[in-house]
Amino acid sequence: MSVKAETAAESGPHNPQRRNFIRMSVAAMGASAMMGLVPEEVRTSAWAAGKDTPEKTEVKIGFIPLTDCAPIVVAAEMGFDKKYGIKIVPSKEASWAGVRDKVVNGELDAAHVLYGLVYGVQQGIGGPQKDMAVLMTLNHNGQGITLSNQVREKGVTDGNSLKRLIDNENRDYTFAQTFPTGTHAMWLYYWLATYGINPMKDVKTIVVPPPQMVANMRVGNMDGFCVGEPWNARAIFDKIGYTVATSQDIWAGHPEKVLGTTAEFVQKHPNTARAMIMAVLDACRYIDATANRASVAKLISSKSYVNAPEEVIAGRFVGSYDNGNGKKWQDPNYMKFFEDGKVTFPYLSDGMWFLTQHKRWGMLKTDPDYLAVAKKVNQIDLYTEAAGQLKIAVPKDAMRSSKFIDGTVWDGKDPKAYAAGFKIKA
Amino acid sequence: MTYKMWHRCCFLLGVTTEHHYKIKHNIKVMLVDENQERTVPLTQVLSEAGYQVIAYISDMADLNKEVARLNPDVIIIDIDSPSRDTLEHIAVASRDDPRAIVMFTHDGDTEKIRSATRAGVSAYVVGGISNERLKPIMDAALARFDEYRGLRLQLDVANNKLAERKVIEKAKGILMQRRSVTEDEAYQALRKMAMDRNERLGEVARQVVEAAQLLG
Repeated sequence: MSVKAETAAESGPHNPQRRNFIRMSVAAMGASAMMGLVPEEVRTSAWAAGKDTPEKTEVKIGFIPLTDCAPIVVAAEMGFDKKYGIKIVPSKEASWAGVRDKVVNGELDAAHVLYGLVYGVQQGIGGPQKDMAVLMTLNHNGQGITLSNQVREKGVTDGNSLKRLIDNENRDYTFAQTFPTGTHAMWLYYWLATYGINPMKDVKTIVVPPPQMVANMRVGNMDGFCVGEPWNARAIFDKIGYTVATSQDIWAGHPEKVLGTTAEFVQKHPNTARAMIMAVLDACRYIDATANRASVAKLISSKSYVNAPEEVIAGRFVGSYDNGNGKKWQDPNYMKFFEDGKVTFPYLSDGMWFLTQHKRWGMLKTDPDYLAVAKKVNQIDLYTEAAGQLKIAVPKDAMRSSKFIDGTVWDGKDPKAYAAGFKIKA
Repeated sequence: MTYKMWHRCCFLLGVTTEHHYKIKHNIKVMLVDENQERTVPLTQVLSEAGYQVIAYISDMADLNKEVARLNPDVIIIDIDSPSRDTLEHIAVASRDDPRAIVMFTHDGDTEKIRSATRAGVSAYVVGGISNERLKPIMDAALARFDEYRGLRLQLDVANNKLAERKVIEKAKGILMQRRSVTEDEAYQALRKMAMDRNERLGEVARQVVEAAQLLG
C-alpha cells in the first residue's frame, strides 16, 4: 500500500481508523479473503462516503481502432464513468509506440494496450524502462492469423501444410504482426513454432499497423499476418485472404488487451485508478450481455472509433465465424469481456506468460524474477477493491492453468523451466 | 559515453576517427510523412544544415522494404504516424544496425517535446522549424544514437575479450598436456609465437586449439 494512499485515507472526513484497518488488512491478508469477512454495509459505506474521491476527475484513455477497444468506448459513451465520479475521454491513437510514449510521459492517463507491451516497457525492452501497472484485463480471445490467397492457391489449409510449403519453396515468406513485444507477435510466433517453423529464422517478420494490414496483403507485402479483429474478418470481406487459425485456437481464453498505466499514476491517483477499473468493469459486464452486443458493434464501428463496416465487426463479435475457406462455425471462445469477472481479473500467471515468451524469443537475455515482476505490475489489490464494490467475484487463486495448441500446460508454477522448455526458440 | 571512450572503441575495433567523422558528415536522412508537401521546407532546412535527404516516404509505403533498400542513417517520422510501430520492430529486430529515429510534431508544443524527449528513444523536432532550431535537435538525436551504438561496441569489445581469454586458457591447457610444461611455460610459448608471427595472442591461441582438434 503506498504512503500516498494511506495519507489520503487518513485525511478523509470521517472514520479514518476503520478505513485504515481495512486498507492494512487488505494489504496483509490479500484483498479477496478480506472482502468476504467485512459486512456488506461497511464495505459499501466505506467506498461511498466520499473518502475515495478521485484525485483526478478527468482521465484521457488511449485506444487503437480494434474491436476490443469497446470497454473504453462503452464506459465513456454509456456514462458508466460518471457513476464513479470520473469522466473518461477516449483518445484515438495511431500507433502502439505512440500509446507507450504518451502513457509513459503522462500525456495519456491510461490506455487500451497490448498485454505484452506493458511488460516490455516494465523490462525496458527496445526503449527506456518504466514501472508500469496493469489495472485489469479488458478481453480474452478474438484475434487471428490470416494467410493470403496466394498461399491458399499453394494448397495451404493449416500449420502443417504451411510448414511443407516453406520447406519446399525457395523464397522468403513474410509474416506481419503489430508490435515487437505485443500479443500478436507472441500468438504468431507460438503458432508458427507449433508447426516447426522458427519465426526468428525460417520466415521474415515485419510490423504493420492493424488498419493497414489488409491493404499491405493486397499488394503482396506479406504472406500472412496476425492481428486483432475486425481486420482478419476484413481480409475475408475484401477477398484477399483467409483465417488459418484464431488466437483462441492457440490458447482458449488467452488474455489480450489490458487497461494499462504507469505505477506512478496508481501511486498518485489510487482513487482515480479504482474508479477507472469500476467504470470499465461495468462496461465489460454490459458488453458481455448477448443482448447488448449488436448495439455495441454499431457504436464502435463509427469513424471516431474502429472505423470499419458494422457487418465486418458484428459477426465474430458474437462468435459467428467463417474462415473464408469454406468453414463456418459458432465459436464458444469468441471475444469475451467479462464472464462474471473471470476475464477482467489480472491473473499473475497471465502477466508472467508474456515474460516467458519475451525470454523465449531472446528479447530478454536473462530470466527475470517472473513472479515478483507480475506482482508489481498487476494491481490485484486495487482490482479486488473495485470488484468488491461491484459485487463481482474475484478468483481465489491469482494463477490459472491453461492448455495450449501444442498440448503444453502453463500454470505459472515454474516459469524459468517453462520458458527454457520450448524446442523452438531464439 | 564520452568522446574519449568512443574514440577508444573505434580504435579497438580498427575504425579510425576520420572514418567516423566522414560518416557523421554524410548522414543520409529518410523522411516519413503522409503529407509530401509538408516535407518540402524540412528537406530544405536539412539540406542547408548539410544532411543528405535521400527520400520522402509516404506513410502508406512499405517501410520495411524502403529502409532495407535505402539504408538511411537517420529516419525522421511524424510523431503521430501509424508507421512508428514498423520502425520499432526494425529497431528491435536489427540491433546490430541501429538507426537514429527522430520524430517531429506539427503543433510545436514544447512541453510535449520536452517530456517525450525525457521518455527516451528519440528526439522530437517541431514543425515549421528554423535551421538554428533543427541543427541542435538533430545533433541531440545523433548523440543519443552514438551513445547507444558506442555502448553496443563496448559490449562487443568486452565479449570478444572474454571469449579470447577462454581460448587462451584452452590453448594453455593443450600445450601443458602435450608438451608437459608448466602453465607459465605454456603461456610464454604462446606469447613468443604471437610475437614471432606478429599476431594477436588470442589468434595464436585459436590456431593452437584448432590444430589440436585436427590432430585429435
